[in-house]
Amino acid sequence: MKRSWYASPYALWMLLFAVVPLLFVCWYAFTTPEGAFTLTNFQEFAKPRYAAVILRSLKHALYCTVLCLVIGYPTAYFLAGRGFNHTQSLVVLILLPMWMNLLLRTYAMMTLLDDNGVLNAALQAIGLPKVKVIGTEGAVVMGLVYNYLPFMVLPIYTVLKKMDYSVIEAAEDLGCNPLRVVTRVVIPMSLPGIVSGITMVFMPAVTSFAISTLLSNGKLRLAGDLIDYIFNQSSNPNRWNIGSSFSLMMLVLILISIGFLRKVDPDNEGGGLW
Amino acid sequence: MRNSRGVRTFRTVWMALVLIFLYAPILVMIALSFNASVSRSQWTGFTLDWYVKVFHDPSILGALRTTVEVAVIATVVSTVIGTLGAIGMHAMNTNMANVLINVSYLPMTTPDIVTGVSLMLMFLFAKVPLGKWTMIMAHIAFDIPYVLFSVMPKLRQMNPNLYEAALDLGCHPLKALYKVIIPEIMPGIFTGTLLAFTMSLDDFVISYFTSSDMYPNLSRIVYSSTKLGVKPTMYAVSTMMFVSILLLLVLINRRTKLEDMG
Amino acid sequence: MIDETRLIEIKGVSKSFGDTQVLHDVDLYIRKCEFVTLLGPSGCGKTTLLRILGGFEMPTSGEVLFEGKDMTGIPPYKRRINTVFQKYALFNHLNVFDNIAFGLNLKTPEQLGVKTKKEKKAEIERRVTRMLKLVKMEGYEKRSTNALSGGQQQRIAIARALVNEPEVLLLDEPLGALDLKLRKEMQLELKAMQQQLGITFIYVTHDQEEALTMSDTIAVMNGGRIQQIGDPKRIYDEPKNAFVADFIGESNIIDGVMLQDELVEFCGVEFQCVDEGFGAREPVDVVIRPEDIMIVGEDVGMLTGVVESVIFKGVHYEMMIRGNDPDGIRWKVHSTTMQPVGTRVGMTIVPYNIHIMHKARTADAEPVAESRNKEA
Repeated sequence: MKRSWYASPYALWMLLFAVVPLLFVCWYAFTTPEGAFTLTNFQEFAKPRYAAVILRSLKHALYCTVLCLVIGYPTAYFLAGRGFNHTQSLVVLILLPMWMNLLLRTYAMMTLLDDNGVLNAALQAIGLPKVKVIGTEGAVVMGLVYNYLPFMVLPIYTVLKKMDYSVIEAAEDLGCNPLRVVTRVVIPMSLPGIVSGITMVFMPAVTSFAISTLLSNGKLRLAGDLIDYIFNQSSNPNRWNIGSSFSLMMLVLILISIGFLRKVDPDNEGGGLW
Repeated sequence: MRNSRGVRTFRTVWMALVLIFLYAPILVMIALSFNASVSRSQWTGFTLDWYVKVFHDPSILGALRTTVEVAVIATVVSTVIGTLGAIGMHAMNTNMANVLINVSYLPMTTPDIVTGVSLMLMFLFAKVPLGKWTMIMAHIAFDIPYVLFSVMPKLRQMNPNLYEAALDLGCHPLKALYKVIIPEIMPGIFTGTLLAFTMSLDDFVISYFTSSDMYPNLSRIVYSSTKLGVKPTMYAVSTMMFVSILLLLVLINRRTKLEDMG
Repeated sequence: MIDETRLIEIKGVSKSFGDTQVLHDVDLYIRKCEFVTLLGPSGCGKTTLLRILGGFEMPTSGEVLFEGKDMTGIPPYKRRINTVFQKYALFNHLNVFDNIAFGLNLKTPEQLGVKTKKEKKAEIERRVTRMLKLVKMEGYEKRSTNALSGGQQQRIAIARALVNEPEVLLLDEPLGALDLKLRKEMQLELKAMQQQLGITFIYVTHDQEEALTMSDTIAVMNGGRIQQIGDPKRIYDEPKNAFVADFIGESNIIDGVMLQDELVEFCGVEFQCVDEGFGAREPVDVVIRPEDIMIVGEDVGMLTGVVESVIFKGVHYEMMIRGNDPDGIRWKVHSTTMQPVGTRVGMTIVPYNIHIMHKARTADAEPVAESRNKEA
């Protein structure tokens, strides 16, 4: 038996449980419940109640991405620089949450922000009025940022870490003050990491599921929650087809952004997870 | 470096704030799991009651069993399939291997929710009732790439003549596999196993779509409980999950750098 | 060419990284239009000294004067000094043109002697084009820096620094990564550029041949101290101590005893020499260059020995000769005529080729630990 045959269980499994299911999504997306070809499934999203969710998803994902960039860039910059005694442990500490259960982290966030939660207890203790955080857009965006921040830090950190420090000295040498060093050299040179980070935050944020529901008491659903709703709760006889067309759109959106990423960063310098 | 004092202070404060942001919710939750009061707003004393309750709650114990069972089976199967796959692809010509490797990027690239929905569609179409076994199938599928990407580098580092030397010395190919190749790539297999196990324990979204309320895992129990209001037992469950995942991650990080993975 | 005004004065500069002192009380002045080389083995502190001049490091004590004014605390971007970095440090997000124009783009139109932004653009283009011509890289404007060879990258790095018309150009082992032939070419080109532009060059290298070829003045450094300053010929012919003698060119360094002025004894034989002012019976290092030893008949030589090995080195033969003295010293001798192995030969040395040096003080001889990341 040739050794290459050892890969056949792998090929079979991945075909059956990674490729074929996606083909099912494609099939359902373009058919009616009776199996006839149709494009009407995609028209569903023009309906106001769905369109509103999609727009909200895009808006929240955008806020989340911008905030992650604003918080994540300096964090990555400081991590990549010299100056902390235990940089390595710090890197691990900041990246660890990335690998941790999204639900648990959101649940923890809820505990903190809830009407009767720790934050409000603390506010009351110092004599301030309670604030209503859960249910607001702010809470949802905060939950998204909390979950996806490490995904922004990692690629930027990777690029900055690889950057030759003498390039910064060269810029200073040629007349850049510290601010200009950052704007003219550090940021342009870390662009692949930035693009990678934006993709790695924006994409999962758009499709995020459960985070928003939990932090808004079910008031503000995002695209992921919508998919869940269509498949599991709606009574529409076309629900598999509509749900599939929506999932397919998400997938295509992501493939496009990966294509874009490859173009900006062909050597995968950003070291993204993909 | 010629950093002024101001810059250094700013940097320290900034990193401290980021760490507080990332860890405060988790630490608060862990603290609350030891709080004698049901209320989240006051600390009335240390207790282990919630942990005791967890181990007397049949639904939580059932979920724990499901979670561990799924993780163990999925890890074992994906380790075998992934390792064999890596060995097979290593022996193939590069074009063919590249195609197969790219298939592994698929579940890593696809958003979890789409993966979950797609598997659910397939199972429903094939009239397979959603439950523990469908969840296991799904977990194996997303665990395999982690094993593959941990084993592949070790195979590439291996001296290509090693296997041939074993054959040359009269070793049967199958024997050469477990006498020579497997010991050589063992560290990679072990890392892959740990990663697969962690990912299985950790998963919420894909499990949610490929299983049903009849066979909940721990994440699902936590998720459903949020609809009924928060119970401190859930803090205890979450804390235990956090700590076990954290320990696994620290263990993995000691073997490979987390930031180099993926 | 060299103006006698002192452009830069380094006064009592010391530098420590943590517990490691890498520079000990260095004094050096550099004149206008001078080509000064800091020469020494790795870890000798030469790069640190250069980085202090560039403003990338602060001296722990001492001061650096530029045209008489203290510039110790001035950051790099405010100095009229530019640097060519060891590994080029080109900006790979910019093309060749934008790399060279980088420094000019940061200046105001007035600083470039023009009035409007439009004129500034034209002026930058004019200067960059001229610079590309100087470094023989015309036509490469739009290329990405990643697509250039090591030698080409080096030329761009030089152009990028020179286009700013600095008073001083600092070069940190700029040719270290190039192959031998390219190195030799670049050495001559760099020297020609320096003379054409009339800019002060401060050049760091560990390659003694490079230093001898290019410099007006060489400062030989070891263990964080300057061992000797002088023009190349003087450094080569009259090394001040055994370290310099050994580092610059090849040498035989033998233990000897100074008997009186102009008379030294080594290998049990008394030799006439030209050095004076040593203590009576002071132990000294005797340094003799391999090419200064003449092979003569065994009967007429001041010393005798047996040829142990012969290597053909192109221009000359290098022979190792085991002396017949009790210690059996092995002499390295360069000669254009070959003596077969086993030949018994005589050797003579003329008095002015015998260099007498004080024994190195122990403090100087102590190896100074290399500071990490600073001197790789």
